[in-house]
Amino acid sequence: MDYFLQLCGALSGGLKYTVGLFAITIACSLPLGLALAFLRASGNRFVRGITGGYVWLMRGTPLLLQLFFFYFGLTFIPVIGKYLTMERFPAACVTFVLNYAAYFCEIFRGGLLSVDKGQHEAAKVLGFSRWQTTLRVVIPQMLRVALPPVTNEAITLVKDTALVTAIGVTEVLYFAKSAVNRDVNVLAYVVAAVFYLVMTYGLTQLFKYLEKRFSF
Amino acid sequence: MEMLRAAGLCKSFGEDVVLENVDFSVEKGETVAVIGYSGSGKSTMLRCLIDLERADAGDIIVEGEYLMKGGVYAPEVEKRRICARMGMVFQSFNLFPHVNVLNNLIYAPMYVKKEPKAQAVARAREQLTLVGLADKADAMPNSLSGGQKQRVAIARALMMQPDVLLFDEPTSSLDPQLTGEVLAVMKKLAAQRMTMVVVTHEMGFAKEAADRVVFMGDHGILEQGTPAEMFGAPKDPRVKNFISSIL
Ligand SMILES: Nc1ncnc2c1ncn2[C@@H]1O[C@H](COP(=O)(O)OP(=O)(O)O)[C@@H](O)[C@H]1O
Ligand SMILES: [Mg+2]
Repeated sequence: MDYFLQLCGALSGGLKYTVGLFAITIACSLPLGLALAFLRASGNRFVRGITGGYVWLMRGTPLLLQLFFFYFGLTFIPVIGKYLTMERFPAACVTFVLNYAAYFCEIFRGGLLSVDKGQHEAAKVLGFSRWQTTLRVVIPQMLRVALPPVTNEAITLVKDTALVTAIGVTEVLYFAKSAVNRDVNVLAYVVAAVFYLVMTYGLTQLFKYLEKRFSF
Repeated sequence: MEMLRAAGLCKSFGEDVVLENVDFSVEKGETVAVIGYSGSGKSTMLRCLIDLERADAGDIIVEGEYLMKGGVYAPEVEKRRICARMGMVFQSFNLFPHVNVLNNLIYAPMYVKKEPKAQAVARAREQLTLVGLADKADAMPNSLSGGQKQRVAIARALMMQPDVLLFDEPTSSLDPQLTGEVLAVMKKLAAQRMTMVVVTHEMGFAKEAADRVVFMGDHGILEQGTPAEMFGAPKDPRVKNFISSIL
């Protein structure tokens, strides 16, 4: 029991980075994803093409590869590489935000397309500007459609944060791994699993509540 | 006084010519029923008048101001100002499903006209009473019947105090027993001399409530006249056919 509590204490030291990475990724990639979704639906073919390519690239390659690229790889770019070098945690944040924004972009794009054409027309004949239509009519309806898939992505994100162990960010799994190696005891992995389960469970409940609020 | 006028209006979808040199006008206080076979361009004409569809050529004049002149539209700001004089009611209601009935009514006055909320709410309650839905202010649209939805949609359009109301088959997606309550509201508006253009398959409404009936076909208006003329002794054989088929 003592050993269990001791492990909980040790692994908590990693929560700062696990939760921090999660929070920063959600806070930045959701708005960025929404902005990308609007660009993706833009009338300009060039803009549509660029954002489409971006989403294709980010979703079509492993997150771990992107992580290595941003942390280890950027340095080796000739001339500008030395200005692009980042610490472990910032590199992890940048990678995750860019990657998750692409997933959220696709979710939001689907949500935008699901809003009936009649809604745009009703708003227009009532005199709404495009911006007012987007804000008051389109986004609230899009959110309802987007919320369940966003929930799924958020849960995946909790688990993906463990990947940054690979570049040496001292998050929960990093501590678990060191404890297992040091003490030759598997319990630390079990404790880490409990940590992740608690986080994903909490998130599921939160999103359930939000879904209820946004339903109509 | 002329409220709304289209002159030489043309509209094609690709190769498909829908409107060819259509002349159409509405006087203040007049109720015009637009009838005709489906696919004859009734919706397209209505949608061109209120800038939901971009016409190819012609003039559109609303209370003396050009929305479009010789195929050229007024600048965006002008266009919005001119279109604000018109309201529209759709076949599929198009209520905002994510907010309650009251918010459906007050959103546009509040956000577009910057009307104080308290005043908008007070007017909304009056409007709801007029369409017989005073007790539904807090209901969500999806909990209403089709007839109730359409009456809310009419109330919502009236909140913007339009000078002309356009209706595109307002009862076509309703069960027969629910069309009556919507038509009753529209007849009340007609009796109050609201200017209305109503695309409809309800010949009863056209006969009783319309001042003029317009028959569309062949890329334009085939014949028009008073209900008595149109239903009693139509001249065009196609109009005759249509009317005998539908009555
Ligand atoms: N957005 C559109 N794109 C292509 N064709 C259209 C579109 N809207 C209408 N049409 C065509 O225009 C014609 C007239 O349609 P419409 O105005 O809806 O007729 P009505 O309302 O009298 O039934 C039809 O042939 C229809 O297929
Ligand atoms: Mg139609």
